[in-house]
Amino acid sequence: MAGLSIKNVTKRFGETEVLKGVSLDIADGEFISLVGPSGCGKSTLLRIIAGLEDQCDGVIQIGGHSVAGQRAADRNLSMVFQSYALYPHLSVGENIAVPLRMRRMNGLQRLPVVGGFMPGAGAVAGGIGRDVRHAAEMLEIGHLLDRKPGQLSGGQRQRVALGRALVREPAAFLLDEPLSNLDAKLRVQTRAEIAQLHRRLAATFIYVTHDQVEAMTMSDRIAVMMGGRILQCAAPDVVYEDPDRIEVAEFIGSPKINILPLEIAADGRLSLLDHALDLAVIDGGRGVGSLGIRPEALRLTSGYSPIRGRVVHSENLGSELFVQVEVAGLEERVTLRAEPEQRAALALGAPVALAFDADKALVFDADGARVRRLRHPNAATSEVA
Amino acid sequence: MSAIETSMTDTAPRAVAGHATKERRAAWVLTAPALVLMVIVLLVPITIAGLLSFTSYSLGNSGFDWVGSRNYEKLFTRSAYEKMFLATLTYVVTVVPISVGLGLGAALLINSLGRFREIYKTIYFLPVMATLLAMAIAWEFMLHPSIGMVNRTLEMSCGTFLEQIWPFLAQGCADRFPVWLGDKRYAIWVICFIGIWQGFGFNMVLYLAGLTSVHRELYHAAEMDGAKSAWERFRLVTWPALGPTTVFVVTITCIRAFQVFDTIEAFWPQGGGPNKSTYVMMFAIFEKGIQQNLIGIGSAITMLFLAFVMFLTLIQRWLVERKVHYK
Repeated sequence: MAGLSIKNVTKRFGETEVLKGVSLDIADGEFISLVGPSGCGKSTLLRIIAGLEDQCDGVIQIGGHSVAGQRAADRNLSMVFQSYALYPHLSVGENIAVPLRMRRMNGLQRLPVVGGFMPGAGAVAGGIGRDVRHAAEMLEIGHLLDRKPGQLSGGQRQRVALGRALVREPAAFLLDEPLSNLDAKLRVQTRAEIAQLHRRLAATFIYVTHDQVEAMTMSDRIAVMMGGRILQCAAPDVVYEDPDRIEVAEFIGSPKINILPLEIAADGRLSLLDHALDLAVIDGGRGVGSLGIRPEALRLTSGYSPIRGRVVHSENLGSELFVQVEVAGLEERVTLRAEPEQRAALALGAPVALAFDADKALVFDADGARVRRLRHPNAATSEVA
Repeated sequence: MSAIETSMTDTAPRAVAGHATKERRAAWVLTAPALVLMVIVLLVPITIAGLLSFTSYSLGNSGFDWVGSRNYEKLFTRSAYEKMFLATLTYVVTVVPISVGLGLGAALLINSLGRFREIYKTIYFLPVMATLLAMAIAWEFMLHPSIGMVNRTLEMSCGTFLEQIWPFLAQGCADRFPVWLGDKRYAIWVICFIGIWQGFGFNMVLYLAGLTSVHRELYHAAEMDGAKSAWERFRLVTWPALGPTTVFVVTITCIRAFQVFDTIEAFWPQGGGPNKSTYVMMFAIFEKGIQQNLIGIGSAITMLFLAFVMFLTLIQRWLVERKVHYK
């Protein structure tokens, strides 16, 4: 087990710059998710950490030591691949045993047929067999050890891939979208199991995914990557409630956050759809910005509100209701989370007015950076957020 | 809905039966052309050849005698046929492993190249595309004992250090270089060499196709699992993934090796090389059945040939189904 440190790593494929100086410190035993849309460089970063790809610049340290020039096989890391990458000709037990055979046996002992007769081979093979069974039992695949990967279901293959990764004690586990080939139900189940596995092993996990729900539910910290940069790296609740940039706010959270256009007056006062808000920025003034409001921060109101419109679509999830409202003057629909009891007031075509708490609204400047220093001009000049 | 269901239950059995007959008839109509062709082109000739192998028939004769298994007895007792089996076996056992190995090696090397891939592929594939008969004539010139390119090249190295380290060369310089096609010690090996030269490019192409189906992520998994040397990665990933390709390549090469004929016919049209050292099965069939018009014995060799090929094919089917598809 060891912590990892990534310093200013860059990567170019020809002219395309995939990673533009990524830095990240990962503590020993931490579960960190690299999350971002396709092509953001998250898988490339993982492969650079693994040693399967060389960085153009920057340093990777594992357990405090630089691994520059060290090949993947020597870095003592385990990886679970998206396709699972199981050896099709080997049984489940043999698949899980491969990393141990490669490390504990010498070239002669690994020879087919005659290898078993080499001095010491029996003892090593016995130890490997014990470890394989232990790993298989931990993942509840002990009864599958004699099967070939071709005879297994997707979920079982995924477990075998996990088993192959955890059978030896690596410095860290690297997981490259391991759940993306599973069906929705199995994904939820396996998600919980991987999180439990992490707690049980107390090992460092680096988990790459494009699914923000996976990242939110499993990780100690989330690193949101976009365009070859880490935009924010923090605990899931912080990333959700207190995003640094508008891209992060838009990527994390489902349904997506509502982004409304803001106008900033010369004195810093903010107005939304020509309606002055009880909010003002402290630094800067005059320009445009954006207001981010999560669907659950909106509520129905009978009073006056600048956000008024008609219900155009609603999704009833049983425990909650997501309603899309077309607001005059806005290109995008506004999404509202409502309680199922409110269904009657939210029929298709019903006119609604939406209010929100100023404290829960996120203000972004024209560049998309978060503006945290705000005041309420109508109340006393106190700062919020 | 319920009305439809009741009406369906009434007529269902008859309708289903009628439908099944119709489907069966359609199936026979659709398979008929292939079946007829197979019977006319394959099964009938094989049966006739099988029957003829028990006769003393010659083409042009009005009748023939049944001779029982005498033709087969000849095959297993006469020394000419012993030489036939020896030559065929030598050729197959030499050419198959070497041309499969070279094909695999060339494919792996070409696959690892970034540039010039296509050029190498074309170079190695050229002999496959060329007509073997024409190539055999070219080789005949090259192997000519006095004016041939091979012996003249060997002569050029006379007097150099090569003479000290290679006894064959020293002997050749002192005496004379071999009469490649006229010497029973060399003739079959020359045929083997040409067979390998001509055939391994085909195997290479098959292996190249097989290599494209190897999952890239498996190599990364092998690297993460600690397979450091290229040999380990080959054993863990490449070789098992090429299993189906290898079975196919070996079978095809075996069958082609049993069929060797062109070069032998071009080099020695009058009978199977010096002291019948290159008297392979295909040439024997041609000589007995066509040149000497001994249809009976020719058919017997043909049946034996068929049995070998059938045996190989069965082994291939068994391997493909049981061993290499990992299901």
